[in-house]
Amino acid sequence: MNKWTNTGQEPEPLPSSVPGPTATDLGEPQAEVEETLKRIQSHKGVIGTVVVNAEGIPIRTTLDNSTTVQYAGLLHQLTMKAKSTVRDIDPQNDLTFLRIRSKKHEIMVAPDKEYLLIVIQNPCE
Amino acid sequence: MAHDAPSSSFPLGRLLHVLRLTAQMPPPRRPPLPSHADSLPGCFLPLSWSACAQCCVDLKSCQTASIVTADASAQVRNHADAQVQTEALEPVSVQPPSRCDIPRLAAFLRRVEAMVIRELNKNWQSHAFDGFEVNWTEQQQMVSCLHTLGYPPAQAQGLHVTGISWNSTGSVVACAYGRVDHGDWSTLKSFVCAWNLDRRGLSPRQPSAVVEAPSAVLCLAFHPLQPSHVAGGLYSGEVLVWDLSRPEDPLLWRTGLTDDTHTDPVSQVVWLPEPGHSHRFQVLSVATDGKVLLWQGIGTGQLQLTEGFALVTQQLPRSTKLKKHPRGETEVGATAVAFSSFDPRLFILGTEGGFPLKCSLAVGEAALTRMPSSVPLRAPAQFTFSPHGGPIYSVSCSPFHRNLFLSAGTDGHVHLYSMLQAPPLTSLQLSLKYLFAVRWSPVRPLVFAAASGEGDVQLFDLQKSSQKPTVSIKQTQDESPVYCLEFNSQQTQLLAAGDAQGTVKVWQLSTEFTEQGPREAEDLDRLAAEVAT
Repeated sequence: MNKWTNTGQEPEPLPSSVPGPTATDLGEPQAEVEETLKRIQSHKGVIGTVVVNAEGIPIRTTLDNSTTVQYAGLLHQLTMKAKSTVRDIDPQNDLTFLRIRSKKHEIMVAPDKEYLLIVIQNPCE
Repeated sequence: MAHDAPSSSFPLGRLLHVLRLTAQMPPPRRPPLPSHADSLPGCFLPLSWSACAQCCVDLKSCQTASIVTADASAQVRNHADAQVQTEALEPVSVQPPSRCDIPRLAAFLRRVEAMVIRELNKNWQSHAFDGFEVNWTEQQQMVSCLHTLGYPPAQAQGLHVTGISWNSTGSVVACAYGRVDHGDWSTLKSFVCAWNLDRRGLSPRQPSAVVEAPSAVLCLAFHPLQPSHVAGGLYSGEVLVWDLSRPEDPLLWRTGLTDDTHTDPVSQVVWLPEPGHSHRFQVLSVATDGKVLLWQGIGTGQLQLTEGFALVTQQLPRSTKLKKHPRGETEVGATAVAFSSFDPRLFILGTEGGFPLKCSLAVGEAALTRMPSSVPLRAPAQFTFSPHGGPIYSVSCSPFHRNLFLSAGTDGHVHLYSMLQAPPLTSLQLSLKYLFAVRWSPVRPLVFAAASGEGDVQLFDLQKSSQKPTVSIKQTQDESPVYCLEFNSQQTQLLAAGDAQGTVKVWQLSTEFTEQGPREAEDLDRLAAEVAT
């Protein structure tokens, strides 16, 4: 006969490898991520797409390694600065989107709490 | 202490004393020592032990010179400890995503996708920025001459500027003096002069470094990393490397006149990175004897041949009809060389026959030549392009497109070739006389400069006009030719050109030649894609 003891801890969350009703959704987030990124990348004029996490480390990219690292590091810092600028002017306000237009192309940054989506587009002239 | 009375002779000493006593010999010299024996009246009986002990005693004293001492106190007021260590930069790479991030990533993308697509569409259709330009730097409207440099002793001898080169930092320009129109062996001494343009008090008539060379220097190239090393090719066929920071003995390496050396004047020298060691370089030299040689400087001051190539007419690829079909193993003289910026082993050779050759360092076929060489010579040519109307004097590979290159020669035409086809893409007549040098701009993909025999430096912008030069700079007043020109890749608004009067002029280009337009790279691609069917 087993004696159940109360450890006082919450049970651990189910790991996603445990078979169950979530098994069919396992492949979906992965496929969804890839599909969304592909849709964005194939848009007119898009040169590259980079997804950066909260620490500024790129986790998905369509550019080469060195360019990706440059974009990720620099734009992460710039986004943080832009966000703090907006918040400083009006604490009720917040940054929703950042666009940088340069001579050669346009860089668009969609910020979020955990991630950053960077898209580089060559606008038509 | 009795040094020379060892224990074995001690009884002998006693015997000697006894004998002396009996023989009435005077006793040996000994210092007086108060002892009981002396104070006894009437009888003098030396104590043998003390006598022997004293028999050879010498008093010596020595003393060093007085030692000078001094006291001083010192105190460190404040100090700090620091440790410094350099670490090799670890390349940060893209982090592979871990499994548990994916649902959150998907959720994020779902949130932002609509907004991003909307902005992309808006941007694509927007005309808000049409014609909007921002000038961050001061605009230069005109091309102006910044410096006119010359070396009077060389100019007095009537020497021409035959080669010009900027160093790796872009602050020093060096020129080689020689003559391009010698018909015979010449023992004229020539010079390599360097001016440091960033130095205050730059004197245009007085170079910051002057090196004498035993024979006319026909071409010059600065080391890509070392700011003071420069290689030069001589009329005698030698290749020399100097270090301009050592005025008393600048010669670093030389090929000497061996079997391996060129037998004809060296047309061009180029520094190449050693395969495998990206910071060590070798010197490549081409000459009109048909050889392309790769030299390595070894410790004894000697340039040693590491690889060699020879151009033989028989082995040229027959991709295009050549006007002449010479028999036998005639060499094809090489007059210019340019390496591709995209493939470090691919190079273009300009020849005396007027046809550029596409060559590679990585070939295996041996050259059918009887020229002596310590290293087996190989045949480098892979493709022959359509010829000019005369010998080619200069080739230049585009730094922005892997297939495009320019060649210019004595027919006064500049041909723009694509490496994919034999006939040129365009042919432009820039001069009625010879063209001596052509160079692509390091910043503007569609701009190149050419030096003409009429004394002009012509700047061509293929975006503006494909027929006539955008700017034509008159370098010499008496229409004597301009022999060489080089863009400064660090300070991109500078262009140096050397002429037959022995002067080097440093031109400052207007901003339109130094700032890339918005779609230039694409325009260049479009130009290169116009392959004639």
